[in-house]
Amino acid sequence: MVERVSPLGEAFRPGTYGNLAEGPGVTLTEATPAAIAEASAFPGSTEPLLAAIETVTGLSLPATPGAGAVGDGAAVFAIGPGRYLVSGAEGLSASLQAAVALDIGTVTDLSHGRAALRIAGPRAEWVLAKLFALDFSPAAFPVGEGRATAHHDVFAHIQRTGGDQFDIYVFRSFARAFWQELCAAAEETGYEVG
Amino acid sequence: MSARRIPTGGLIDRSRTVPFTFDGKAYTGFAGDTLAAALLANGITLIGRSFKYHRPRGVFTAGVDEPNALVTVFKDGVREPNIPATQIELYEGLVAESQNRFPSLDYDISALNQLAGPLFGAGFYYKTFMGPVVGPLKGTRFWMFCEHFIRRAAGLGRAGYDKDPARYERMNAFCDVLVVGAGPAGLMAAEAAAKAGKRVILAEQEPRAGGAANWSGETIGGKPAALWAEAAAERLAAMDNVRLLTRTAVWGYYDGNNLAALERVGDHLAAAPKGAPRHRHWSIRAEKVVLATGSFERPIVFPGNDRPGVMLAGAAERYANQFGVLPGEKIAIFTNNDGAYRAAAALKKAGGAVVAILDVRPEISAAARALAEEAGVVPLLGHAVAGTAGKRLAKVLIQRFDAATGRLSGDVRPVEADCLAVSGGWSPAIHLASQAGRNPAWDDRLNAFLPPQPTQEWTGAGAFTGAMSTAEALSSGRDAGLIAAGKKASRAKLPEVAAPPLEAGPAPVFEIKAEGKAFVDLQNDVTADDVRLAHREGFVSVEHLKRYTTLGMATDQGKTSNVPGLAIMAGARGLAIPEVGTTRFRPPFSPVSIGSLAAEKHGHFKPDRLTPMHDWHVERGARMMEVGLWHRPMVYGEAGETVEQTYIREAATVRASVGIVDVSTLGKIAVKGPDAAEFLDRVYTNMFSTLAVGKARYGLMLREDGIALDDGTTWRLGEHDFLMTTTTANAGKVMQHLEYYLDVVWPDLKVHLASVTDQWAGAAVAGPNARKVLEACVTETAVDNEALPFMGIVHGGIAGAPVMICRLSFSGELAYEVYCGAGHGTHVWEALMEAGEAFGITPYGMEALGTLRIEKGHVTGAEIDGRTTARDLYLDWMLSKKKPFIGSALMDREGLIDTNRIRLVGVVSLDGRPLGGGAHIVEKGSLEELGESIGHITAFCYSPALSKYIGLALVKGGKARHGTRAFVSDALRKRFGPVEIVSHHFFDPEGSRMHG
Amino acid sequence: MLIPCPHCGPRDVSEFSYQGDATRTRPDPASTDMKAWHDYVYNRPNPAGPHREYWQHAGGCRVHLLLTRDTLTHEVQAVAFARAGLNEGAGKP
Repeated sequence: MVERVSPLGEAFRPGTYGNLAEGPGVTLTEATPAAIAEASAFPGSTEPLLAAIETVTGLSLPATPGAGAVGDGAAVFAIGPGRYLVSGAEGLSASLQAAVALDIGTVTDLSHGRAALRIAGPRAEWVLAKLFALDFSPAAFPVGEGRATAHHDVFAHIQRTGGDQFDIYVFRSFARAFWQELCAAAEETGYEVG
Repeated sequence: MSARRIPTGGLIDRSRTVPFTFDGKAYTGFAGDTLAAALLANGITLIGRSFKYHRPRGVFTAGVDEPNALVTVFKDGVREPNIPATQIELYEGLVAESQNRFPSLDYDISALNQLAGPLFGAGFYYKTFMGPVVGPLKGTRFWMFCEHFIRRAAGLGRAGYDKDPARYERMNAFCDVLVVGAGPAGLMAAEAAAKAGKRVILAEQEPRAGGAANWSGETIGGKPAALWAEAAAERLAAMDNVRLLTRTAVWGYYDGNNLAALERVGDHLAAAPKGAPRHRHWSIRAEKVVLATGSFERPIVFPGNDRPGVMLAGAAERYANQFGVLPGEKIAIFTNNDGAYRAAAALKKAGGAVVAILDVRPEISAAARALAEEAGVVPLLGHAVAGTAGKRLAKVLIQRFDAATGRLSGDVRPVEADCLAVSGGWSPAIHLASQAGRNPAWDDRLNAFLPPQPTQEWTGAGAFTGAMSTAEALSSGRDAGLIAAGKKASRAKLPEVAAPPLEAGPAPVFEIKAEGKAFVDLQNDVTADDVRLAHREGFVSVEHLKRYTTLGMATDQGKTSNVPGLAIMAGARGLAIPEVGTTRFRPPFSPVSIGSLAAEKHGHFKPDRLTPMHDWHVERGARMMEVGLWHRPMVYGEAGETVEQTYIREAATVRASVGIVDVSTLGKIAVKGPDAAEFLDRVYTNMFSTLAVGKARYGLMLREDGIALDDGTTWRLGEHDFLMTTTTANAGKVMQHLEYYLDVVWPDLKVHLASVTDQWAGAAVAGPNARKVLEACVTETAVDNEALPFMGIVHGGIAGAPVMICRLSFSGELAYEVYCGAGHGTHVWEALMEAGEAFGITPYGMEALGTLRIEKGHVTGAEIDGRTTARDLYLDWMLSKKKPFIGSALMDREGLIDTNRIRLVGVVSLDGRPLGGGAHIVEKGSLEELGESIGHITAFCYSPALSKYIGLALVKGGKARHGTRAFVSDALRKRFGPVEIVSHHFFDPEGSRMHG
Repeated sequence: MLIPCPHCGPRDVSEFSYQGDATRTRPDPASTDMKAWHDYVYNRPNPAGPHREYWQHAGGCRVHLLLTRDTLTHEVQAVAFARAGLNEGAGKP
């Protein structure tokens, strides 16, 4: 299999940067999973679509806005009504495609089309609040849930994958520019790339 | 230490001396000083020159309301003008300069403007720059010449030209309760809400919490008020659910309880910590807001009220109590209310000599009398200031005054004073409330506007509500905090306040009329007579008054001038103040840096959008160009080549052998679902339901009004699975267009759309040897004419990566678009380059791509420009008659089918010189006498295939002009020359090459 | 101005695209009634007060919303997904 090349290129430079007076406040890394797919239900078919997603990923979630779940090697979250971003292992899209009947919904492979950038650490909420008009507090944005938003021209699908960890899915073509913006935003708190 | 610095007291740190320079001279102050305080401590009272008349001006206030003491600050190589000295915290090495003076602050030549007083009166810009409408100078350039000098003389500081190296950021915040103002009321409100478990943000524009507690001289809970406030702020800062933001001015109140604030993170520091912004723009979304913004003292207007040394009484008190600075040695007080007596006592206590207290009122309260006694003077009741003297204040001219009639009488007596502390009463700071409320209500007791009824989720507390005592601030603050937290008001005991029982309401005296310039708006040099002149000239509405006289404009937004200005207009009209009304306060409350609004976009406006092969292009030496957000190769130049030479070489190589171009930027939309084919039939002008799986078709979309929207190929990958391509520029627009129809017009169609532009890397391999290149590297599928006919699609592999290949042509050559996963893009591209090496393959950029398409007469966004129809572009063969589609109903309207519309043609330069985009086509004329335009050039190039400069154009009549001559006319670029109008199919019109 | 997206919750207006007047209806696609088409494509009332309009949450869930918005106060009085099928059973955030 041919290796999938990261869109970050030389902009990804492991090390510590910015104001390290209080240690790096966040860690930045690329966390693009092996496979990413968008699974969408036709109106009224969200439940069977979620059942299909559960069959494939083992993750179950309610059909409520913003719902999501994080598991071992797989994650899923709502990015719109009846629309889910699913990440997982190689072959995910084909498995989902096979599990979703024609009249239930559709599956689109985005494994190359999106990049996931991960920000983790005690200042993650602070740094993200510079870039997105979202309430990142745990009460408003619990672990597992997802949000669809935008930073200027860059669309972003964000999932809280841990207490102080977020995965930000952006269009691949914007990944490098957004990565640089994320790094710049984290200079104040200091950051580690790795 | 200077004589003006009090030996002890205040909230400054006397152990930390801070050096700074003003107008090139070195001084020192203490940590905790503002520049204004430090200058006063050094005995400097002349700080600037005024806007129009260049009159000497000093410090008038101690806060954000400062109209006068504007200076230019130099930091990190950047000059920032018009910063109030009262808002600049002293830091080591601060460099500030006075402004609007020449040659020096002390002697200013333009002060002669005063002699031309009437010229600079109300509406002077409007009157002056109109120029004479009659007479010998009418319509001449003479007035424009004069304007240059007048504008130079009038004004404030100069902005710099250097790039601002500072960093600016945005912060999005969410909270249950936002408290604006951390005076005693705000502190109480924040603590009450926080203790109720709410997420609280407390924003204070000053560097320290406490508000008036920092200089009131009162005690709260048995402690000096400033210490009480400090302790309260420390308690709040320690709570997890509270964010205490100092140096943060909330300046805008927007819909949805969204408030804007500016945090001055680094202005007070000699050097910002790494990564820290200079300013942070806070966008705060609050469930509830408590406005505890306090009140502003206002002046009384009298002749000579602008002389350096004249200042607000509260400011004088603040300089003494908070900064340990005496604003003068011989201090006179002029007031219409009790508040100034507290200032008098404080100034005396600080070591100043209070030489007189002048009060317009015939009687005063016992508390005021007691304070006068503390100040060591017997107040002169029924007296007023009729004038002042000295470049810096030296004398105050006093006279008997009858508050009932507003008349001065008796002898004018001079009193020697170098400081005159004035109080005209207090106005609640209702600016934010006015942005989020109805009309403010006039209060006859305070002679001020009270906050309006809210139209958003806020409550008020403290002096903001008109409750001027500290005890009231504590109780109303706590209640407001509790109510904002959804609790009931409390009756629990509050900290005791020890304060003199002063009456807050002033006598309704706003102006002392006497000979001389009496300023209402110090910042804009608007006098009381200007207001009356505006009235005589018919500008009687307050909104007109503001615009005509500039009263209340510029950096201070009339914080000190608002009520006096209204009072004078009311007097001129013979109305009560509330009948005249007030201007609506709009954002921003205080000046906001543009950088903070741009935030992280400061200095760069858009993200770079890169294709999967971007790094390869750059390494290959491609000259990149920006196309929308995308970066695309323009040419892959070799040493010594011009851009034109390069694209000619690249295009010629494609026609002769083979080339490869990155087409990853094309918009790509997955269209899937049981109704996908039906949907495409409705949105495209031609049929797609009849397209076989494994085939692609060129499609055209119209807008509902019949104008062309976009074109591209759509590939049928499966029965219910299409891949639509759009032009690079229109990808977003087309996506939105399709989403609209699915959501709004045809909700019953089972179709999903997904943007897959970024999923696929695309490389177009074009040229007579294109197939041979593919044959050399493609596995798992044949690519011969049978397996892969024109518009056919195959799936295979290249160098181990899965690919999808569609045979279609933009260049007119035998060509293929090779798509693979974006992460494999460079891998596949390199394999194609390697396979093409034997054929001399060349990568080509946008210029060659454009050249090849112009030679073929293919349209792009330059021709599908939002005005052209399918017929205009000779694409009417694509308009299906078998079905309705978006645009079919309106596309045949009379005006759209007129054959004399501008339509697509080719043009050939007949003088061997290049054409120019946007140049007009004319039938006759010259550069001197421009002919009537019959159309314009949309694209041009040198055609290596034809060895001529050619172009595409939209010309009236289109085809009917083929074979005729015309001229290209471009007055801007000085280009005029003969052209021949020809078919836009310049090259291989039969298409034999791409079908071969 | 905030728009309460039924899926995403209240979001700033900058995330949304105005997508036109929602009071008009598209004529039958095969209709040749030019007046009806002109009304649909061009003619718009401009009410001072409540107005039904489409907004797409372009910088979010991408869905078109049907809003009743007061043009005088920006108050959003009602909001729902434009595609009726999405309103059934959709929980609120």
